[in-house]
Amino acid sequence: METRRSWARRAGVLFVLVWTIIPLYWAVNISLQTNVQGSAKPSNYLPPTPSLSNYIALLLGSGETAQAMRQGFVNSILECLCATLLTTVLATLAAYAFARMRFRGRTVLFYAVLATLALPAYTTLIPVYQLMSAVGLVNTYVGIILVYCSGFLPLATWILHNYMTALPISIEEACEADGATRMQVLWFVVLPLARPGIASTALITFLFGWGQFLFPLILSTDASTAPLTVVIAALQGRHSFPFTMMSAAGVVAVLLPALIALVANKYIVNGMLAGSVK
Amino acid sequence: MPIPSVHEKSVRLTIPPAGTASGRPIARRKGGLRRHPAWLPYALVSPLGVFVILLTLVPAAFTLGESFFRVDLFDPPIRFVAFGNFVDLFRSSAMRTSFANTAVYVLIGVTLSTVLGFIMAVTLQRRFVGRSLLIALMIIPWALPGVAEGIMWLGIWGSDTGLLNSALTSLHLIDHYQVWLGTNPLLTIFVIELVQVWEMTPLSALLILATLQNIPGEVYEAAAIDGASPLRTLRHITLPLALPGVTLAMVQALVGAINIFDEPYVLNGSASTGASAVMQTYFVSFQDLNFGEGYALSLMITVVTILASLVILRFIYRPVEY
Amino acid sequence: MRASSRLFRSIALVLGAAAVTTELSGCSGGSQSPAHEKIRGETITVVMPAPPPPKKLLDRFTAQTGVTVKWNNVDFDSITTKVAAGGAARTYFGDVTYFNFLNGPQYAKLKWFLPLDTLLDPGVTKDTLGKSAFTYDKKLYGVPWDASVGVTTLNKSMFAKAGITSLPTTMDDYTADLVKIKRAGIVKYPLSMPFSAAEGLTVYWIQTTVAFGGASIFDKHGKEQFSSPSSPGYKAAQWMISALKTGLVSPGAVNDGDSQAQGLQAQGLSASSLVDYAGNVSSLYDDPKQSKVVGQVVYLPVPGAHGPVRSINLSDGIGVPAFAKHPAAAAKFVSWLIDGKNQIKFGGAGASDEVWSAQYLPSNYPALTTLNAKGKVGDGAVLLNILKNHSQPYFPYGTPEWYPAFSHAVQTSLHAAATGTMTVPDAIKAMAAAATH
Repeated sequence: METRRSWARRAGVLFVLVWTIIPLYWAVNISLQTNVQGSAKPSNYLPPTPSLSNYIALLLGSGETAQAMRQGFVNSILECLCATLLTTVLATLAAYAFARMRFRGRTVLFYAVLATLALPAYTTLIPVYQLMSAVGLVNTYVGIILVYCSGFLPLATWILHNYMTALPISIEEACEADGATRMQVLWFVVLPLARPGIASTALITFLFGWGQFLFPLILSTDASTAPLTVVIAALQGRHSFPFTMMSAAGVVAVLLPALIALVANKYIVNGMLAGSVK
Repeated sequence: MPIPSVHEKSVRLTIPPAGTASGRPIARRKGGLRRHPAWLPYALVSPLGVFVILLTLVPAAFTLGESFFRVDLFDPPIRFVAFGNFVDLFRSSAMRTSFANTAVYVLIGVTLSTVLGFIMAVTLQRRFVGRSLLIALMIIPWALPGVAEGIMWLGIWGSDTGLLNSALTSLHLIDHYQVWLGTNPLLTIFVIELVQVWEMTPLSALLILATLQNIPGEVYEAAAIDGASPLRTLRHITLPLALPGVTLAMVQALVGAINIFDEPYVLNGSASTGASAVMQTYFVSFQDLNFGEGYALSLMITVVTILASLVILRFIYRPVEY
Repeated sequence: MRASSRLFRSIALVLGAAAVTTELSGCSGGSQSPAHEKIRGETITVVMPAPPPPKKLLDRFTAQTGVTVKWNNVDFDSITTKVAAGGAARTYFGDVTYFNFLNGPQYAKLKWFLPLDTLLDPGVTKDTLGKSAFTYDKKLYGVPWDASVGVTTLNKSMFAKAGITSLPTTMDDYTADLVKIKRAGIVKYPLSMPFSAAEGLTVYWIQTTVAFGGASIFDKHGKEQFSSPSSPGYKAAQWMISALKTGLVSPGAVNDGDSQAQGLQAQGLSASSLVDYAGNVSSLYDDPKQSKVVGQVVYLPVPGAHGPVRSINLSDGIGVPAFAKHPAAAAKFVSWLIDGKNQIKFGGAGASDEVWSAQYLPSNYPALTTLNAKGKVGDGAVLLNILKNHSQPYFPYGTPEWYPAFSHAVQTSLHAAATGTMTVPDAIKAMAAAATH
């Protein structure tokens, strides 16, 4: 039986690898070629003369593209980290209230929050733009972070609500019986227990932020706040199709999220299964 | 039958999602925790409330209200037309095609990404060497910026120089390059949706994995003692206990698929074989500058998303408590 | 519950007030008077689908005028989104922005851009090519920052290899030559055509219509001129579809946008493009990083029914949005960007750190001739003649403001005809329906 399970897992691992790596390999492969090599027929399965020139043009030196990419990288990190931090904290507080407290308006608010997930982005784009412009937050980190938070909070709250309702309530009850206040229960019991859920939520929020395009496109008016996605899209020239450089830009853009995922995994995969809760 | 379904025994099914129907189980559960100050829950949810109300609900109320007005910048003044915009939408054959296309995107996208996400999550459920690395690798497709992703997949599906054609030719499976996109409507949608599935499955997997991490080890130990086969354990323990995560994954896939834009636009242009409803929103609002009709379309998308989510919640969601 | 609904109402009130304030401040921004002395010390934002001009030259602009430039490089499609969002929200998003002549009439009619006639110093646009594309109701709303027209390109080595000694001047010769190249097996699909449903397809069809003898697809009164089977527009559509069906064009063309179709010729996978963009010989076919056919591709005046026809104007323009904060400083920058002396430097006739590769072809005619004399314009002699003497506006009677919706119908219908999901007559019918507003 154990062997059957391990075979199933091996098949699963193989599937994840093949499914993920083939397209990514292709992006890396193309990024190391020139446009001429990249559109050969039949395709070059390996770069004939591997060259880092796309990466060098994107990242190093004082060229405009490299400068914009580096600034975009910094902007993306700042905006995503702040938005993740704020979203995770606020969502944790709200999710706890939704999961463990009864109060007037709870149902309405919870469903109103969830319903916003159904709104297409274009629905709120123009009014949010007007509002941000009226309060002077266009082309500021704060403006972009606030809008990100409003967009990510619903899903984050829902994930954490799901997670917290599934936590064993008996521990919380025991703590209260020992005289802890509700906030103490939240801080000393729920938060540690919910850590994998909170870590997953934070990672998911960060990745959502990393992929944002439409709102930061509109809310940034120059390179000082534009995130990486907007900078990468602008690599397309009016009359050119620099697909090998685009592939390189895509590879550059995924490095940091992959690294963060690697770090965050320590917390995410450390759930009850590992026996932290008895 | 040594293993009873979790539904019946091992797990108390007492917590409905907030506000669903009965207050009874909540009342029972709340008995355990003492009362809190009345202001506390409001203090905890108000930051969320302010964000969502100020930056989402109120703006959306403004624009969705415009659905019932003629807001065409070339046909002023703004005037009330009741359901006129909606009637116009359904009169257009391009719109009807895009609705049908979107339905197929959703069907394929939700099914595939949930099934694949579940497989990935189960694969990653237990500890093994290299698991963290695999998770980090797995999420990369999701982190890829939209434009780069589109261009990368053009290099795979391309009809003149793409990888798929080249590989199939090299393997002698086809004798000349095929056109995957734009000729056969169903194939076109499938190929486009596969790209989106590739992109959003990592999130589905993470959402399901988070729930799986919550299953106490004892449940599996009990199953092992009772001699359940891995398949039975999967079917009767893992799957039911993962349902909250599966529900979340399905809803996010639904939202993603119903809002599909970049993939068809980059891979298939504005061609009717792949055009989605949200693409039409963009054309109507931002190119034709007929915002009333664009917002009417947005309102329809919102309502359909909510209804479909409710269906998923009603039929899939099963709250669990250990 | 009651509390939350009250909250709702007060927030709505605040938001409403915010929207009104924006509108007011937006309007006052637009009506600032162009007092030239006042621009010193101002900072303007420039939104373009290109990286900034060389720093050395930008610094010189700042030193001369006192105006600092913030550059916002945004992709072409997204600029349309930004302009529409800025216009609809009546909000500032930049002081100078790229805009497409195809959207120009929309923007002009909605007063989303300022007329430049009063903003610019008289005479600065004297030598600028392609201005007519940006003139609506006799007012100039944008200035071309580069010059481009629809032009035929062909690979002269491939033509020679097929034994073709004189380059085609008529559509019949051109088609026959392509068939000859295909039969000789020099290249499997000799003709490049962008059949994906995107803007490039409309451009290709309109220039092909000119080739079949139609000066315009609309008459003076805006009535469509392409639904009768004997009309040039109809014949053009038919010719394009049959080129695909008879294998002159690769079946994969239904997935190709303009850049990809041109890319095939750069790869040596096609021998010609009936409608290519002037400028591509230098920036694509003669660039060894992108092309396998360096030195082989030349321009050709677009062949017509009885000889070469006019090329349609495809210039890209820049303008000043109505909600610009510093219109006078913006106008200064526009003048600087189209100035002949600067365009010569951008084009590579000055120091190497003054080259701006984003400049496709200078829009200033004397600058273009200077650059050509220095050998900086690929196949320049043919090109200059076409640009100066044989070009015409995209729509000789003015671009209709509903052009985007019409173009959308043209793209989807011709694409559908190409993939076989629609017949040519049905496609034409759908296009004609979109033209009767």
